[in-house]
Amino acid sequence: MLDVASNLDDISKTTFCIPYRPQEGSDPIEKLKRFIPPTSSSQDYDLENGLELRFEAYRVAWKKCLDRMQGIIRDLQRSTVKAVVQEVRSSYTNILPGLPHPELPVISVINPGLGTSFMENITTELEANNSEVDLPTSVGSSVIHLYPPDLPNLSTGMRAIISGFIEKDERENVKRNSGASMASYNILYLAAWYKSWAKSGGVPQPNLVVVLHDFEQFDPLVMQDVFHICSTQVPLVPLIFLLSMTSPSSNYLNTTYSRSTLSLLRLRTFSAPSGIHILQELVVKTFFHIDFEPDIMIGPAILEYLQDYFTRYNSSTDAVLTLLQLVHLHHFTTDPFSVLVHQSPSAGVLSQISSKPFLEMLKARIALLLDDNDDAMNVEDWQSLATASVVTTIDEARSEFYLRARNIRKAFGVMLRIQTVLESNGHKGLEWTLNAENSGRVCNVLLDILRGQLSRDVKRLGLIIKKLSYDELRAVVNSVHRYVFTMPPQACSEEPEARAHIAYYYSQLPDGPHVSTPEIAAHFSNWITKYLGDKLLPLDDVDLWDVWYAGITPFPSELINPSIRASIIAGLLRPHEFLEDLEIRVVRQRPIPKALWELPDTSILFKRYLDSGKMVNVYDWYEAFKSVLDTQRTQLLEAAAMSSGTPSSSPRKRGRKPKNQQPLLDTTEVEEEKWGIETQARFIRALHELDYLGFIKHTGRKADHVLRTVFDVDDAE
Amino acid sequence: MLPVPGYEQFCDDLSTLLSTYPPSFIYVQDIESIRTTFNVIDTVLRDVSQATPPQNTFKVHYVRVDAISCFTARLFFETVINTLVGWEPKWEDGCTNWSPENELRWNENLDTFLHGLRAAHQHLCQQHGIGATDKGKGKQREGSYDDVRFVVVVERAERLKENLPDMIVPLTRLTEMARVDLTVIFVSQVGWEHIRPPLGASPDPYFMDIQGISKDNVAKSLISNFSSLSVSEDILNNPYHPALASLYTHFITTLCDICFPFTHDPQELQYIAAARWPGFVKPIIDAYKQQLDEQMDENGLEFTPPSEEVRMRLIRYFNPTFTSALEALLPRLTNATDWAKANEPPPNLLSLPRTSTASTTSTSKPDSSNIRALPRMSKFILVASFLASTNPPKSDIRMFGRGLDEKKRRRRATAKTSGKTKSGAPSKIPQRLLGPTAFALDRMVAILGGLLEENDVDTRMGGLAKEFKIPGEYTDMEIGRVGVYSNVIELTSMGLLHRTSPPDRLDGPPMFKCAVSYETTLLLAKELDVALNDLLWDPM
Repeated sequence: MLDVASNLDDISKTTFCIPYRPQEGSDPIEKLKRFIPPTSSSQDYDLENGLELRFEAYRVAWKKCLDRMQGIIRDLQRSTVKAVVQEVRSSYTNILPGLPHPELPVISVINPGLGTSFMENITTELEANNSEVDLPTSVGSSVIHLYPPDLPNLSTGMRAIISGFIEKDERENVKRNSGASMASYNILYLAAWYKSWAKSGGVPQPNLVVVLHDFEQFDPLVMQDVFHICSTQVPLVPLIFLLSMTSPSSNYLNTTYSRSTLSLLRLRTFSAPSGIHILQELVVKTFFHIDFEPDIMIGPAILEYLQDYFTRYNSSTDAVLTLLQLVHLHHFTTDPFSVLVHQSPSAGVLSQISSKPFLEMLKARIALLLDDNDDAMNVEDWQSLATASVVTTIDEARSEFYLRARNIRKAFGVMLRIQTVLESNGHKGLEWTLNAENSGRVCNVLLDILRGQLSRDVKRLGLIIKKLSYDELRAVVNSVHRYVFTMPPQACSEEPEARAHIAYYYSQLPDGPHVSTPEIAAHFSNWITKYLGDKLLPLDDVDLWDVWYAGITPFPSELINPSIRASIIAGLLRPHEFLEDLEIRVVRQRPIPKALWELPDTSILFKRYLDSGKMVNVYDWYEAFKSVLDTQRTQLLEAAAMSSGTPSSSPRKRGRKPKNQQPLLDTTEVEEEKWGIETQARFIRALHELDYLGFIKHTGRKADHVLRTVFDVDDAE
Repeated sequence: MLPVPGYEQFCDDLSTLLSTYPPSFIYVQDIESIRTTFNVIDTVLRDVSQATPPQNTFKVHYVRVDAISCFTARLFFETVINTLVGWEPKWEDGCTNWSPENELRWNENLDTFLHGLRAAHQHLCQQHGIGATDKGKGKQREGSYDDVRFVVVVERAERLKENLPDMIVPLTRLTEMARVDLTVIFVSQVGWEHIRPPLGASPDPYFMDIQGISKDNVAKSLISNFSSLSVSEDILNNPYHPALASLYTHFITTLCDICFPFTHDPQELQYIAAARWPGFVKPIIDAYKQQLDEQMDENGLEFTPPSEEVRMRLIRYFNPTFTSALEALLPRLTNATDWAKANEPPPNLLSLPRTSTASTTSTSKPDSSNIRALPRMSKFILVASFLASTNPPKSDIRMFGRGLDEKKRRRRATAKTSGKTKSGAPSKIPQRLLGPTAFALDRMVAILGGLLEENDVDTRMGGLAKEFKIPGEYTDMEIGRVGVYSNVIELTSMGLLHRTSPPDRLDGPPMFKCAVSYETTLLLAKELDVALNDLLWDPM
């Protein structure tokens, strides 16, 4: 402390850092904390190395899910990537004859939603096929990447472009005398290099591709000159500019660059898929597709939040990945039972002494289930359950859960097939589809499925099928037939009955219309309604469902997307709820509201701020603050006197110097003075903190007054 | 080579000057068709430099320097001297510059450059056999040059002012400084008075102004390009077949009739012609192809020019497409290749009824699907920022205020503004025609709150909204979310909002400007179900 204090007089410094050094036993709140054991409810019954095991399980589950989703994203990107690569390859072939001057090919790729991997895929594709040139129209390409900081001005930018290509050349470097040779930012330098490179490579006219990432951030004044200079060398040096943009307006270049620059370019625009369609593909193919079985199933609350966040705030795949990763993390961190996701621990592990609480909790859970099923069983008997039978119960529950999830996927697949056929025949059907632009409905359907509210749609589907004509019915049956018979082996083997039924209906519909069509349609409709009804069972009926299913657990949305002002005010009003969250969970009740004097200084000052009018008189404010601090002082000293009885160990206020520590009765005038200075210092510090947070506006209108900026705070007290 | 029509006088003047006694500094100004002028000057200089002694006793070496490409002095020096001596740097030699015998480095500063120029001059004199010994004897041999003359053409000279401001004065006085036979020509779209250095540091140039070319001359020059394009006789691959020359003449005449009022630049007209011509002759080529197929004979059929009747039909059919080509191609909403592909005529055009005309696929409409894919909050932010940029700040309380009788108040505001035009007083220009004004972020967020409260309550997730009981409390939460602020920043980086205050300023709220058009905003407002016109202070 002393060394810091000695420096405080240094007028050459504007700020000082005084590190916070809590001293053992000096802080009443610190002391209070030690009374509460650092445990939470969830840790009560965890396995000994439960955290590690769960983290391992999380890694496996998330990796599986992530790989699947990345595959889906790649599929989404594929067609656009292909088109862009083809365009780059054929940029200098099939040029329209009769143009007044050669144009510089510029390809802008608009990618609002698919993340950075999109551009990476394009460039790797471009570079990968360098060696194998099979088509006569396509040529190899050398690709360089430039980012906005690479082009702060023209000479640096040109040097970055030119040296970028030359450094990629694997041939032996030619010795250069920097003084006697051309400037390294001269485009003719690139032209000379290109001439020799193209000759040596043997490949006819490889293209030079410049990828400009975040093109909107490049300075248009620099870029227009770069375009001009590069266009002077085409087509001798076949440069191609690939612009990566996020701007959704397709005419960004038209609005930003002058016509004289645009007339040098041949601009083509490609857009990556975007919008709700992406989310739907991701969710349907990850969680509701028969080909894939995620370890953790998301619940309706999470799906709803995902949809809301995606459509409202951030329509990108990266956001979806982040949210789902958080869901996985959340699932595996909150519930110790989630260790059972992949495999049950062996009976040996469970019978260890350290896993006793876990086992007992588990037994209690299972006994509760048994109790529901079987009235004869006494609740008290759960203690007697054998450990081995616990393990088997878990294994059974697991396969039961996955079977039920698979059934839901199958049923959804069948409905989707029927709906697609209906739509292609011009029916409205259930009015949801994967392909249309406004396909946001499908997410709602998925929500209904998870909530078990889809029976209405199933009934309607049955009614519609009954009324189908021969051709339409045939198409529907055909489609379902194909679906059922092309399911993955495991799913397929679970459905012998369905396959037999479908094969029967399939054979009942020979070529050409038949008299008995309505009859068959009615039969088929009845069967499919029953089939779907059997399959679409809610997931949270299964034993121990919460191990694999997120259920109605709400997403911690306030952590992802908090309201800044509300959070700050809540923090100021109830600081302890942010600090001592764990304790509240133990008690499982609303915390006793703290008295005003127990709050930190800034909160005290803020409370008094809320009591004032439009303008705050700073002196009055200080007086009010001081009176609270006085209370605080008395209370703390009294508490100290009561708890210890010895004045020597009386606790001091926070952040106080040791010499301030005096018994209450010994207050002298000097002490009072010091106390006054201390309150002033604490007041000023709290005031500055509020000022920094933006709660105060300084106006010169009235002396000693500041303006409030926040009104009408809903303060419960 | 024939001079470009309309440039005969200029070419004549320039070549006479350059081959006799040129002024040391010439300034050529062309406002309309600068690229054509570059080509013309290049042609003149090539002719002059190739002239042999009977016509021209000076061996002219010239260099064209682009002031944009030569953005540093070093680049300028290297380009001038390497080109003058005809030196091509080789990668294998480490791209060394041309160097005179004494290994002088001349690309460092102006002084060394002047030495370099002299060395180059000497080098070229030796090359052409103009030795000092000859000079002393007075009379020279027949068929040899008297001297080497340098011509330095600086294109887009107006850019020198930004890139190389220190070079303008030395360049204009280059002849007297280098002490060799040298002429500097500045070519620019801007007048000399805008470039001229202060205090009379530069001598006044010899001015040569290019007059705007007339429509006939433009048409003539475009038609004259045809011969250079019709290099291949293969009609199936090259639509510029010699037999189509007369059709091309008619085509260009019609095109110029339609498009000349909008642009006088021959390059632009050529661009439009290049986009339209392949589609224009496609019916004829198709008919020819069909004949070929029917005949099954490899080389029996000669391609013949179309009849007068077919020509009339084609012109008549394609007439409306010239305008749409102009509308799409002049502002480069699309490129010529894509336009040509998108506007190919139907395959059986010549068998269609005579009265039909082509309809063009509209390419001018920008694709709105990407704008639609924006997140909902971004759309609201864009609408709110458009309102903040067009409405005056004082009107906010009336447009968005929600007092007890708020409905009445707002209507009155709208009704009053719609009947605004008073007779006599000059009517105020509405803000949306004056461009967006800057607004503080706080104000936009407040407007956003108003919009969300009115139009977004139904779409909210049920679970969260139930916790809030006071009207508007949830909206208050919504507008303060991190997502809103990060969306504002993201929109700024996309260029849909402009930040007008510097990012490093901490005092006061950041200022923004809306950068989307009324049409886009209207589209977004429709998507969001916001009645945009009711919220505008000056409704459309």
